[in-house]
Amino acid sequence: MRSADQDLLDRWLAAEQNDRADEADAALAALFTALPPLLPPAGFADRVMLRARLEMETAAVPAALPAMPRRSLFTSLWVRAALTLCLLSIGVSVLWLPQMLRAVAGLLSVGGLVRIWTSSLVTACRWLGSALGLWDFLMTVGRALATPLETPTMALVLVSCLLVSLLAFRSLRGLITRDRSWTYVNS
Amino acid sequence: MLTDAELVARALEGRQEAFREIVVRFERPVYSLVARMLQDPAAAEDLAQEVFIKAFRRLDTYDPERKLSSWLFKIAHNATIDYLRRRTPETVPLEASSSSGTRDDDRGSLAAVLADGSAESPATAAERRDMARALEQAIARLRPEYRESVVMFYVEGASYQEICEVTGLPLGTVKTNLHRARKELAQQMTDMGWAPRETRDARVS
Repeated sequence: MRSADQDLLDRWLAAEQNDRADEADAALAALFTALPPLLPPAGFADRVMLRARLEMETAAVPAALPAMPRRSLFTSLWVRAALTLCLLSIGVSVLWLPQMLRAVAGLLSVGGLVRIWTSSLVTACRWLGSALGLWDFLMTVGRALATPLETPTMALVLVSCLLVSLLAFRSLRGLITRDRSWTYVNS
Repeated sequence: MLTDAELVARALEGRQEAFREIVVRFERPVYSLVARMLQDPAAAEDLAQEVFIKAFRRLDTYDPERKLSSWLFKIAHNATIDYLRRRTPETVPLEASSSSGTRDDDRGSLAAVLADGSAESPATAAERRDMARALEQAIARLRPEYRESVVMFYVEGASYQEICEVTGLPLGTVKTNLHRARKELAQQMTDMGWAPRETRDARVS
């Protein structure tokens, strides 16, 4: 006795042989409906829920954690010793404070200010001179490199190279950012 | 029964039973697609779970105007491609490859996990199982893009438009893929000995 499934299969294959696309479509869909479906293993939903719950809990952990007590900086013996040394040295240096203040006051006189201004100006001019020398060198190199490009042929070659590299870059970007496709999957 | 959009709205309110209902409602189509694409039941279960977890995480981005099944299929499509890209190529034992294309025992394969129709005579049930296995084997040999379209269109009843949305392919390409895939399936079924009865009888006589 022919089963209903066999009938459907025969209908589909016969329609396919005779190029009756619509009939083949309908028969194949009916055949898939009639055949046993592919079911997920029992308890699939429970496992998904468990996994979801676990992930939610894991994500919630940082927020749920009690605030960690911050360890005081001054509990370390080394920090305390260093701090004491710093305070001592500050105390000792206070002894030289008047002398230092007098020296600074001497600098702030009109003569001292003029001296600082002139020495700064000289240093700045030296720096400017060095920078101009470097710029001049760079200009010479640039001119030497640009001379061959002044010819139309070289300019054309350069523009062509630029265009090719732009196209290559664009294609590469297209490949990298393209939507997921089966083309690159070996299944 | 709640609509898909209502279910999603409830799930977004944090109701776990809504989450669960989404899984129960779509576990079969999602698993069916992923399993047929991967051809590995264990990996398929893991990936199908991941699809739902990803969907839950991004449920707020779901557009209620779209079908929830299409949205889940899209996540499954992306997850499957990513998985197959990451997966290192496997070596196939020669014995396994030599038995392909026959009705040999295929325990452990995808075809072996097909649901069993229990309210039938043993002969009919055996024939159905054989036919389903043959069809699964034929599907497994299709190119991935054909396979995906076949599963969505013929097995899950998705429309051309939904397949376009999920795969990102133009309508013409989807139609062509389906047409070619159906032809290939028919050819493979015929090669495996499932030709129409009339053709088989004609060959015998």
